[in-house]
Amino acid sequence: MLKQIQQYLSVYQSFVSTSFAESMNFRLHFVLLIVMDLFFYGSAFFTIEIIYNQVTVIGTWNKHQVMFFLAFMLSINQLVMTMTSEAYWRFPELLKSGELDFILLKPVNSLFLTFFRYIRPGSAFNIFFTFPALIYFGVKVDLTPLAWGLLPFFLLFAFLLQSAIDLLIATSMFWMLEGTGMNFLRMEFQQMSRWPDFIYPGLFRNLFSFGVPILLIGSGPIRFLFNPNDFIPFVAMLGACFLLWVLVALFWKKGLRAYESASS
Amino acid sequence: MIHAQGVFKEFRLYKKEAGFKGSLKAFFSRQFEIKRAIAPLDLEIQRGEIIGLLGPNGAGKTTLMKMLTGIIVPSGGRLSVLGCEPAQRLKYFRQRIALVMGQKSQLWWDLPAMDSFLLIQKYYEIPPKAFKDRVEELSDLLRVSAYLNVHVRKLSLGERMKVELMASLLHEPEVLFLDEPTIGLDLLSQKNIRDFLFQYHQKRNPTLILTSHYMADIEALAQRVVLIIEGHKRFDGSINKFENLLGHNKTLNFTFAQQIKEFNFFSPYSPRWNAGGKAVEITVPEGELRQVASHILAQYPVTDFSTQKTPIERVLETLLNSPELLKET
Repeated sequence: MLKQIQQYLSVYQSFVSTSFAESMNFRLHFVLLIVMDLFFYGSAFFTIEIIYNQVTVIGTWNKHQVMFFLAFMLSINQLVMTMTSEAYWRFPELLKSGELDFILLKPVNSLFLTFFRYIRPGSAFNIFFTFPALIYFGVKVDLTPLAWGLLPFFLLFAFLLQSAIDLLIATSMFWMLEGTGMNFLRMEFQQMSRWPDFIYPGLFRNLFSFGVPILLIGSGPIRFLFNPNDFIPFVAMLGACFLLWVLVALFWKKGLRAYESASS
Repeated sequence: MIHAQGVFKEFRLYKKEAGFKGSLKAFFSRQFEIKRAIAPLDLEIQRGEIIGLLGPNGAGKTTLMKMLTGIIVPSGGRLSVLGCEPAQRLKYFRQRIALVMGQKSQLWWDLPAMDSFLLIQKYYEIPPKAFKDRVEELSDLLRVSAYLNVHVRKLSLGERMKVELMASLLHEPEVLFLDEPTIGLDLLSQKNIRDFLFQYHQKRNPTLILTSHYMADIEALAQRVVLIIEGHKRFDGSINKFENLLGHNKTLNFTFAQQIKEFNFFSPYSPRWNAGGKAVEITVPEGELRQVASHILAQYPVTDFSTQKTPIERVLETLLNSPELLKET
């Protein structure tokens, strides 16, 4: 088991280095991606700023609480953009061109190889924006020492849930082959999850918390960090995370059986 | 080593009429048909054999290779490669096979080949010393040392194919599948690849399964030929047996000083005249060779002639045009 973890870490290290080398070939594109991500993050904070110029609270949260929530979600977004986002766009091409063939031949988990191989080093640089913002607003909302200790684990769980949802959507491309629609759906879900769950009406909130659990990604852990008695969404998030990863493994296996490869 | 029993593969194909109306109709009501790419097929391959898979385009050769490598799952039958069921894609199995596809690349396009090799080293957990030795050995054999640090997209097709081969051999596979490895290459590059594969096989003795439309590849490498036509295995035997499928014939080529107008004599021997009627190729039963050659040399203004056994291309061409000459195996 330890040997296998070492192997996967070593492979991932090579992904980072090859992706970095590949990205650096195209300097302007590399810089542009960093600037565009920063523009996106800045505009997200600016939107909240504008809203709180008109109101003092949204639901029960003040401006700093919503800003902390947003910084948490943008940190998740930044991890997704860095680690997996590129692969979701490339996956339909791998299926249609038959390039997935070579991935299936390698003695490494094919899900890992397909979705964690294309890293966007440009997005990684924005960690210097999202994580400081998370810490800054964490201080502003007076997080308890326990909450600070839990925060890195909650980021990990949120990333895992976000990835499970994205992967489940991506797996459907085995049957659909065309991925643009599914990628837009994935992005719409991400967009929805960047707002606290309480802004959505009851039926809608329940559907997107317990049906398609996108609202649990941020609201589950953040509500718990603000008020440990409000633990149900967080427990639901852990459950959803486990269940969805089981489904991902199942559908990936089914997808591979349905894969027909392209003619040569 | 490889054991297939009644293995077959069916694909579901989506049919659509041409044009906007056809697209609209297909959007609401899809028409599918089942195409059998490989009919139930039996195959036994021993360790160290070199097998040439022959057949026209769309015959099912690549589909068979993809089933043998575990890329696609057979619709039925039993398949075992290295004691494993390929579709299960066990790590043990994947560590021991490799596939080279002439029309697809496993290398990172925007990086030098060496970067891809380093990644492959990690995939297959090749120890650093062994990796270094193999890179040196293979790059010497293939004469590609100078290209290893050049971006793959900048390499010529021949150079790229050599580094593709290297990438597939770094983990020293026990079974190597080669799907048209020389496609699109010039004659010299084709020969280089063939020579390398021959030497590599002599040295390491892997099992090689090769498809190619260039019969020179098959003749140079394969000991045994499997012919597939429309998904059916139509021949499985030694290359000598394949060459003699049309009988023990010889091919005679004659060049004449002037255009031949009287050619009735040639008719029984399947003549192939060149456009000017000044050269002909005929197929003659071995027993009649002396008599036919003497007659032509005596009666016609021959300036040059040569004899050879029927080329494998000709055998294949004849069989593809008249598959009824073969019984299904």
